Amino acid sequence: MIFEIGEKIIRVMKAFTEPRIAIKDIVKEPAHKSPIFRGRHEIHYEFCIGCDACNKICPVDAIKMKPLPLKKPRMVPEVNLAVCIFCGLCEDVCPTKPKAIKLSGGDIEIIAPDGTHKTLEDFWVRVDIPEEWIEQKKREEEEKARKKREMMEKKKREAELKKQEAKGEEK
Amino acid sequence: MREKLKEIIGRYDVEYIEDYRSWVKAKLKNKEDLLPLIKELKKAGVKSCSTVSPTDFIDENRIEVNYFLENLNPTKSSKEEEKVNVWLKVDLDRDLQNCEIDSITPIMPSANYHELEAYSTFGVKFRGHPNLRYFLISRDYYGKFPFRKDFDFKEHEKNLIENINAITDEFLEEFEEHEKTIGHEGSRTVLHWGPTHPASGPIRLKVFTNGEIIEKVEPDIGYVWRALENLVERKDFIGAIVAVERICFMDNPNPMICYSEAVEEIAGKEITPFAKYMRVILGETGRIASHLISMGSFFGTMGLQTFLMWCLDVREYFLDVLEDYSGARIATSCIEPGGVRYPLPDPEAWFNEIDKAIKKWEKVKPDIEDIFLKNPLMTKRAKNTGVFTLEDVEEYFLAGPVARASGAKIDVRIDEPYAGYADLEMDYVTCENGDARDRLYIIVKEVDQSIGLIKQAIEKIREGIEKGEMNPSKDHLIKMPKKLPAGESVRRIEWARGEILMHLVTQDKATSPYRLKIKTPSVNHTMMLENLLPGHTLSDIPLLYGSMHICQGDLDR
Repeated sequence: MIFEIGEKIIRVMKAFTEPRIAIKDIVKEPAHKSPIFRGRHEIHYEFCIGCDACNKICPVDAIKMKPLPLKKPRMVPEVNLAVCIFCGLCEDVCPTKPKAIKLSGGDIEIIAPDGTHKTLEDFWVRVDIPEEWIEQKKREEEEKARKKREMMEKKKREAELKKQEAKGEEK
Repeated sequence: MREKLKEIIGRYDVEYIEDYRSWVKAKLKNKEDLLPLIKELKKAGVKSCSTVSPTDFIDENRIEVNYFLENLNPTKSSKEEEKVNVWLKVDLDRDLQNCEIDSITPIMPSANYHELEAYSTFGVKFRGHPNLRYFLISRDYYGKFPFRKDFDFKEHEKNLIENINAITDEFLEEFEEHEKTIGHEGSRTVLHWGPTHPASGPIRLKVFTNGEIIEKVEPDIGYVWRALENLVERKDFIGAIVAVERICFMDNPNPMICYSEAVEEIAGKEITPFAKYMRVILGETGRIASHLISMGSFFGTMGLQTFLMWCLDVREYFLDVLEDYSGARIATSCIEPGGVRYPLPDPEAWFNEIDKAIKKWEKVKPDIEDIFLKNPLMTKRAKNTGVFTLEDVEEYFLAGPVARASGAKIDVRIDEPYAGYADLEMDYVTCENGDARDRLYIIVKEVDQSIGLIKQAIEKIREGIEKGEMNPSKDHLIKMPKKLPAGESVRRIEWARGEILMHLVTQDKATSPYRLKIKTPSVNHTMMLENLLPGHTLSDIPLLYGSMHICQGDLDR
């Protein structure tokens, strides 16, 4: 009798020496993380060429293109995570290298740190483009356009000169 | 067999008869010929109707009805005798008045729900159907036939409030009707099992009982009807995988294999051996993930949730495998037309992850066998309850583990091999009795079989890499054309809970599918409940329902 009770007590005591099952705080760190986990998007406006391919392929219309006052990129994508199904097709179809829109290896944390969302606006992955970058890009574009124009004028002049020469020879 | 079937069909007025994979494909000129032909085919051994799939050709003003009749032959393996199926086509007028054809349900009961579905979504009337009614769709779609090409979903959604009111009205009318017909005297009543029952999932069984004895069961389905077949038509060929994979979350990769193979066939492309074996590994991992839930919920429906928790614990490891490869655990979208979607830069690391999952299962398995599979209470309740014979299997086209529990030798992986299964060694896994308990045992056996297949496929990939034939970081995808030619293809795969058949139709220079019919096993298994449950007591419903491994995701689509 006493032996049985002692045996039971020892069996219960063994539980204290067992390793604890919960060894990770999964609120802070996921239990398993894949290197290509499809999570929150990263959008790099520097690489984007505004081709609209990600918007076209998105099966649930989660992507909205934000217009820019530039020629290239004409627009950049913004993602609504409340609609997104994280299929990753936008990343697959993105033609730039490195990818302008990227989910794989993305952030697992879509819920805000305090656990609640006040507005639907919190579910949007917005692109914050600094004014200076746009200004600089504009200037670059103007420069390019000016150079192009100059080239065209130069070519025109040369062509005219040639024509005149040809006429002179004929005479 | 093939010659015999051709000879039978050739006696009728047909436009063409041709061979197509394991099918004999023929188009009938007169719709009156259908019934006598099917009677003869049934005598010849083609006893089950897989599905009835109408296609709406709006430009040619016709609806083409496809009948997929399968020769299951459950007593013989396909190695002894080839299993030849029949694919019949009949043209109907598109006009609602004349869109009528004889019902084959009195001859082949397995066509019952499929005909109802075709009637509800396309408006094809089936003369002589025992109970032709609107089915699957909700009240607001009655008489509008949403899968016809001229139906406008956006216009329909404008009247949202009226639509919802229509649905609630239906419930009230039904309640009043039962009040009238059954009354308050005596012990007869109608009970609604589900959709909020803990074991049911989104399905409602209208159970007509006399005291505790069940007299009649009418499943009411369509609670999660998402019109996936129609949704696919609005996406491109690659984007459609996200709709196809949402048939059911439990076994995710397999439906995508089926769809991708159908697209590849129309495009006329052959995928690389590496992609084939990857499909085997991913498909089998999905199968195990599904079986673990099936196993657990068998006990869950009986009120014991512990086993489900254990199974979900093991399942996590198999989901880790999927996550490591694709980046998502449940909606992986890891297989697309042309191969598998991602390269495998470090194969050995991924194989290690698979090894870890297999070891976890092997560690838990002895405990599961001791505690749950030999459980005396479960044995008492489930043994010799709800027995299916081989005749039932053929008559109602039970598929997958439910059929194999009765000893049927049916497995698409062997009968019509797809992906890399042709090169792997496998045999039919069967049980003998076909009762509810065997439908649990077969699941456990199949998990072991899947693990064997995964190991074989890994070995093949390792060999290929060693020989330099495979390059895991490049071979995963071949280039697919952006526009497909006109054509149609039929593909079958062995899903976790039975056979999936996909019928894909494309038109010339297509960028999206013209029609995709998805036949799923749970439809037939739900249909079987009507015959299975009567005579049993109310307490048997969760047990027998759980033993059928029904998932509402693929039931409703």
